[in-house]
Amino acid sequence: MTLKSTTALGLVLGAAMGSGALAQDDALDIVFINDGHVAPYHVAWLSGFEDAIAAYDEAFPDIAITGRWLSAEGSLEKMIQQTEVTINEGPDVMFVNAINVDAFEPLVAQAQAAGITWIAVHSPMDSADYSFTLGDIANGRNQGLAMCALSGGEPFEVAIMLGQAGNPSGEARHAGILEGISACENVNVVAEQPADWDTVKAQTLAENWLTQFPDLDAISGVTDGYMYPSIAIAANSGNTDIQFYGYDGDIPIMQQMEGGQVMADILLSGTREGWNFVQMAYRIHQGEELDKVYDFFTPLVLTEANHAKALENGFPADVTVYYVDQALDVAANGYLEFGPDSVQ
Amino acid sequence: MTSTVTVNPTAAKAAISGLTLRYLVLAGLIVLASVGFSLANENFYSLVNIGILLRSIAVLFLVSMGMTFVMLTGGIDLSVGSNVAFAGGVGVITLTTTGSAPLGFLTAILAGMAIGTINGIFIGRLKLSAFMVTLATFALARGLALVIYDATSINVSDPTFLWLGGTSWGNIPVVIPFVFCVFVALSVLLYRTPFGRNVYAAGANFNTAFVLGRRPERSVVWIYALSGALAGLSAIVTVGRVSSGQPWSGLYLEFDAITAVILGGTSLFGGRGRLLGTILGVLLYGIIINGLVLTGTNPYLQSLIKGMILLGVVLLDSWTQRGKAA
Repeated sequence: MTLKSTTALGLVLGAAMGSGALAQDDALDIVFINDGHVAPYHVAWLSGFEDAIAAYDEAFPDIAITGRWLSAEGSLEKMIQQTEVTINEGPDVMFVNAINVDAFEPLVAQAQAAGITWIAVHSPMDSADYSFTLGDIANGRNQGLAMCALSGGEPFEVAIMLGQAGNPSGEARHAGILEGISACENVNVVAEQPADWDTVKAQTLAENWLTQFPDLDAISGVTDGYMYPSIAIAANSGNTDIQFYGYDGDIPIMQQMEGGQVMADILLSGTREGWNFVQMAYRIHQGEELDKVYDFFTPLVLTEANHAKALENGFPADVTVYYVDQALDVAANGYLEFGPDSVQ
Repeated sequence: MTSTVTVNPTAAKAAISGLTLRYLVLAGLIVLASVGFSLANENFYSLVNIGILLRSIAVLFLVSMGMTFVMLTGGIDLSVGSNVAFAGGVGVITLTTTGSAPLGFLTAILAGMAIGTINGIFIGRLKLSAFMVTLATFALARGLALVIYDATSINVSDPTFLWLGGTSWGNIPVVIPFVFCVFVALSVLLYRTPFGRNVYAAGANFNTAFVLGRRPERSVVWIYALSGALAGLSAIVTVGRVSSGQPWSGLYLEFDAITAVILGGTSLFGGRGRLLGTILGVLLYGIIINGLVLTGTNPYLQSLIKGMILLGVVLLDSWTQRGKAA
């Protein structure tokens, strides 16, 4: 190959690369800063986010869609540093699941001054451009109402595993569950303890409760992360009567609903949420007007038989319920609801 | 008896050379990491990013300097992170009830010192394990923080209280010159006073120091109190940085501080180490954390990389010390 032909080839390649770059002169860079990645929900969430980035980038070749996520591993200081560094990088959209929203107020203003769209995740912020919320109180209420309707009218003892003290999302879920339970008189809360979103602490709590309350009828949790050890401990102790009421829509938990002891779950699903983030960012980028407080669609999950039974016992008919198969399908395949087809 | 207290000049020279070598290695790693990260992302050397980097490690600087004193005695202080949350809570509550920022500062530092003094008395006077005592106060201080905050954050708007942690001169955070002043003051204390010589003596050989009348048990109490006071100062900086008092602030700070101090060449067994090494250790640690975020490194890999760097430096340290001893 001569020098001339090498130069010509270089020019052709350069032109081709240049035209490729011109074809993607529009860009959408999304960053998701999460408080941690300790639970199966987080893993599914981040995986859904990454899959959605790839799918949207492929489906819309005229826009270079990129994204990355960061985990603060529960440390407020680390999260603030990550946020400051990210703002300096100037992405288009930032999803921030703040450990404490008060601590992030100065950074919201800083991001907005840099032209970044700030989306507060789970805990709403007035100052944010958008808040992506879960409707935790309503979801908790639905879990509580389902418990009432499926408790059979007899005296019913339940123990509730809570989130980390002071965490707004965990406290909202807790308040909702209590509100739902208050609709019936037979359900009695015998214990409540924070498990700090930690499955090991949940395991200890479940062991203690099953010993301390031999007549315990149900364990309710503000996350499915607590259900894994609780179900295992009940199974190991031969307790096949106790019921479980979950929250998150983790696939392995929902798979234990048909003929199992898991009676109800709230279909957040990390995968769905990750996909919904990218869909939301894309819609904002396209100039679509969204509600400032964007509620993630989170139906209650019941088996068909339990739904029928619950309706007979006064469960509100207007609560959106997904049956297990449908819930498992959308939980596994986030693109069904939030993929590129949903915005085309 | 004499042989146990006589300083071997050759060994002392070797130890000094070992530390110097460590500092050169650290400085080299700092340069290497900076160049590498700046090649990966041109924003690394931007003034804004340098300001972010310095602000993010200011608290770690303060806590790590206290941890250096503690580790020079062969001890460890696992309570510093929780103590930052507790001392911040006391300071913020004082501020909100009295409206006085100076009183808030004072009580935050005194609260931090109180936890440190408890550690010191149990470890220095009662000769209990530093690991177990500070593990207990680690839980105790976090629990106290949650109780006094009622587990929720408290907004702070007093400009005086927020000044140290929240103000910047251009891109340089005010807290950095402050940290430098603390470094100078602690260096004088460690290298130019009898107290500093007692710190090294307590770490090199507690019993010998006792026989020589250096009162190491009293020194240990004061060292942990100093570590607590620095945790109190860190609490003030933290509150200023986030404009609020946070019951969960300082989480895992003790691990970062211990990592930085070990990186800086302070011996886990006491008696060897300098504040300069800790400063370099904190700087290297901060650069790595900042660079990993800036380069978009997969978060799953970040802990792995940090762990490998620490392990590498510890191995290098062991190797260079062995080389000097041979």
